Amino acid sequence: MGEYALLYILFAPFAGALGLIFVSNRQPLLVRSIAASAAFVSLITSLYIFYAYDSIAGGFQFVQKFEWSRQLGIALYLGVDGVGTPLVLASSILLFAGIFVSWHIKDRTKEFYIWLLILAAATIGVFMSLDLFFLYFFYEMSVIPMYLLLGMWGSHTKKYLEMTDPEGLKRRDSVGFILNFGSNSKEYAAMKLVLFLSAFAVIALMGILLIYKYSGLNTFDILVLREQANLMNIPALGTTLDKIIWVLVFFGFASIAPLWPLHSWSPVGHAAAPAATSMLHAGVLMKLGHFSIMRVAFEILPETTRELMPIAAVLCMFSIIYGGFVAFYAKDTKYVIGYSSSSHMGYVFLGMAALNYISLSGAVIYMFAHAMATGMLFAMAGWVYDQTHSRDIPSLGGLVNKMPFISACFIVACMASVGMPGTVNFIAEIMIIVGSWNKYPLQVIVAMLGIVLTLAYLFKMMRGLFYGPMNQKYSHAHDAISTVDRLPLLIMISVSIGFGIFPMHLYDVVRSGVDPLVARITRVVPVAETNEGLGVNGKSMPLERTAAPLAAHKAISDPPQGSREERE
Amino acid sequence: MTFSLNMTFSDLLLLLPEIFLTCWLCVVLIVDFSFPRFPKERLAYFSVAGLVITLGCLGWFDLNHISGTLFGNMFVLDRMAIFFKIFILGATILVILASIEYVNRFTLFRGEYYCLVVMAALGMMFMTSANDLLSLFVSLEFATLGFYILVSYLRDDLASNEGGLKFFILGVFAAGLLAYGISLVYGETGKLVFSEMASAQATPGLIIGFLLIFASLGFKIGAVPFHSWIPDTYHGAPTPVTTFLSIAPKAAAFAILLRLFLVALATFKPLWVTLLVAVSILSMTYGNIVAIAQRNIKRLLAYSGIAQVGNVLIGLAAGTKMGSDAIMFYLLAYLFANIGAFAVVIAVSQAIGRDEIEDYRGLNRRSPFLAFAMLLFLLSLAGVPPLAGFIGKLYIFVAAIHEGLYTLIAVGLINIVISMYYYLIIVKQMYINEPVDPSPIGISSPMKVVIYVGLAGTLVIGIYPQPFTDWVVSATVMFSNVVGPSATVIPPGSALGG
Repeated sequence: MGEYALLYILFAPFAGALGLIFVSNRQPLLVRSIAASAAFVSLITSLYIFYAYDSIAGGFQFVQKFEWSRQLGIALYLGVDGVGTPLVLASSILLFAGIFVSWHIKDRTKEFYIWLLILAAATIGVFMSLDLFFLYFFYEMSVIPMYLLLGMWGSHTKKYLEMTDPEGLKRRDSVGFILNFGSNSKEYAAMKLVLFLSAFAVIALMGILLIYKYSGLNTFDILVLREQANLMNIPALGTTLDKIIWVLVFFGFASIAPLWPLHSWSPVGHAAAPAATSMLHAGVLMKLGHFSIMRVAFEILPETTRELMPIAAVLCMFSIIYGGFVAFYAKDTKYVIGYSSSSHMGYVFLGMAALNYISLSGAVIYMFAHAMATGMLFAMAGWVYDQTHSRDIPSLGGLVNKMPFISACFIVACMASVGMPGTVNFIAEIMIIVGSWNKYPLQVIVAMLGIVLTLAYLFKMMRGLFYGPMNQKYSHAHDAISTVDRLPLLIMISVSIGFGIFPMHLYDVVRSGVDPLVARITRVVPVAETNEGLGVNGKSMPLERTAAPLAAHKAISDPPQGSREERE
Repeated sequence: MTFSLNMTFSDLLLLLPEIFLTCWLCVVLIVDFSFPRFPKERLAYFSVAGLVITLGCLGWFDLNHISGTLFGNMFVLDRMAIFFKIFILGATILVILASIEYVNRFTLFRGEYYCLVVMAALGMMFMTSANDLLSLFVSLEFATLGFYILVSYLRDDLASNEGGLKFFILGVFAAGLLAYGISLVYGETGKLVFSEMASAQATPGLIIGFLLIFASLGFKIGAVPFHSWIPDTYHGAPTPVTTFLSIAPKAAAFAILLRLFLVALATFKPLWVTLLVAVSILSMTYGNIVAIAQRNIKRLLAYSGIAQVGNVLIGLAAGTKMGSDAIMFYLLAYLFANIGAFAVVIAVSQAIGRDEIEDYRGLNRRSPFLAFAMLLFLLSLAGVPPLAGFIGKLYIFVAAIHEGLYTLIAVGLINIVISMYYYLIIVKQMYINEPVDPSPIGISSPMKVVIYVGLAGTLVIGIYPQPFTDWVVSATVMFSNVVGPSATVIPPGSALGG
């Protein structure tokens, strides 16, 4: 298994999708089990690579390379480092969970699972690509399934249904469709998402092409480019070329992340998408942005990153605050979670902008943690919607009597999302905050405020959905009883809490990926990488509350006094 | 120019595919006339058989690297010509297979239809081998002749007549321009063979002559501003003819354009790069923006074709060997996607009788196969991985970025996004909207073959392009010594390239 592990992870969903083409829609159980088994292969193999990843050796492991086009210098070059490994794991967990979350889809089940598998496989492909071409290839490939998933199985946004004209959307088929900004139809959401992401993807592609041209190496291989490409100090358009490339790559990929001014496709897309799609979308698709920025901009243009990353530090404040406030005022459950995701992605940008070992590790762990938390939230919002056909928070309420299991899980998910100690989110958040304090105190204060806001809107939503008087209209709603319905939630909860209590392996893996990256960018060697070994001490401290800050303290490389003050 | 006719039999071997196809065409005609009761459907398969044999012959040529020139350099058979001949024959075979069901509805002249298609193919095969201005003119007109008739084949249909008339008038006008351009060029240089013109001086007469030649070829490929016949003709013509028209003549004309620009005009590269950049930007932008407003799928594909030509012209503007590789690769990807998309259009219009975009409502429920095929073809045209169109676009962009055509690439990239919008509108109709009439749509078996071939091509080229890139790279070996001055826009940067 070992060396081919990445191929199994990547191609199992593709093979599942291919197999589904030949199955009839009249056998829904067969369709679901094929999808589930494909996802299961991915999940098991990702767990294997996650635990088999040698964090002491670090670097890219499980590498596979197949020549793909000699003329263009492209190879299918796969490998994961400490950044990619947890994200691959998160993707396959969410895919597996998502298949069970959408177990009850009746309409065109086969097609749904085909597109869901392709979406997840493409996402996984990005996380393991070591070739710029394939990074873009999988990135763009993940966008199109979203269109069909949203359009075919999505739902119009609550209360705006009358705005889609019943005659069959004739008017919207021409130019008016684009200009119809007020529309909340799922078609609008799907089209906006695809066009927005494609538009920014081609901006990133321009950056990639410029890297390809000016490196002069006739290759898209990231590892070769990282070592040999010399893109510095080439004057172009009144500035230097590396800055232009960096800006193209950064904003091209930041749109999917979604960084503040480029976020508008995301909440609409979340709201319109079916539950499993929202999970993958918010859980891993958004992380493609951060990941691609790290893989392309951080690896190939380290000096420029150091110089220009403050842009992200500025914009992430707006992300956090803006997303938080809109989430607070939104009335649609999925809008709340959608805006909360885009607000939380601001933390990742903050962690990336601070560019030190702690904050960047925190950012990567946060991506993993957020995938679980937001996956749970979307899964449950989807469940509530399936039962009540409403996502309108004011009209819902009192559902705790009808669905005790769901509401209990919802509390856990809210806690995870807020970053309660005991969940992996806490570790990630504290690392980002501790790590960024020295460099960006203002942003850290804003992030603190963001945490308060998160508490506020999540509790508001929880109260609105599950407590208070119940609307009798929804008395037919019932809980998730069968194993199939409970399984995805239980998986995500156990992952979230499990890594919250035993974070050391995750931390080691992430550190092994982040260390060389930060070292390249800041050219500072970490102090903590001494022979005592992080894992040993970590195991002796099973309490999560002490383990993480201590680990953080140990590993801190910048002047440590500031961060120690900040912890309290 | 010396015109030697002392050919040997082995020289004629180079013409074997054309000679064989001509004979076969005559046999088809004779069978059609002499046995009126002979089923016309079999006539179609009979012509396909001839085309397949010719294809096999060309494949044998390609494998054995047979090449040479004939008639005092008028006719050249090199690997590029073989590539384009195979391309055109493949397109013709697919078009004939896609036509069978459509042609069965005709009351008259069903047999002649296949003869005319094969005749046009023959003309285009000569075009790909044209190596001087005279054979260019003759073969171009020979190929177009068949199309004039084919476009207006639906005698009782006003749109078809209108399309035919527009095509004819503008086509004849383009022929006039071509003839005038040739006379100017000949007057200035005294040369007709492409390769002998390379040393010419850039006099105004010569430049105007080449501009006129370019205009008439631009008419053939439908590049803006020579595109005005395209929408009406594509709309009016019988759909299989539109299919043929949308791919084969463009490929043949690009073969000529490659020879013209990379061989005859290699020394004037700085001059024509600007021209091609302008035409390419105009074609892409105009085609894509106007396509958004279309209601008829044939018109939409017509405008998308204009935009695709703009994309191909990026490769020509690069003006390098890699650019020509990219063009040929792109055309290959375009062949499968475009013929496939039109095949779906034919299949749907057979069932519904109309080809408005609205009629594709809920196609996914009526025929999941057709909808899925159409989805992949449209996405390939839009340039979405992992389909052939994406690799084609990327190949062209990479070729262009080596030459520093940044503006052109930026416009091309923006146009990908614009085009995605209108392709997705069709996807929306097919997948998201519910059908008005949910009755299933049946597909005839030759049509299925066409669609399967299209799907296979689109997916295989997209997922494993290596054999195809190898093929195009080896097919353009003769351009490898073309070293024109580079058109780099940001010179200081390129100095650091190596």
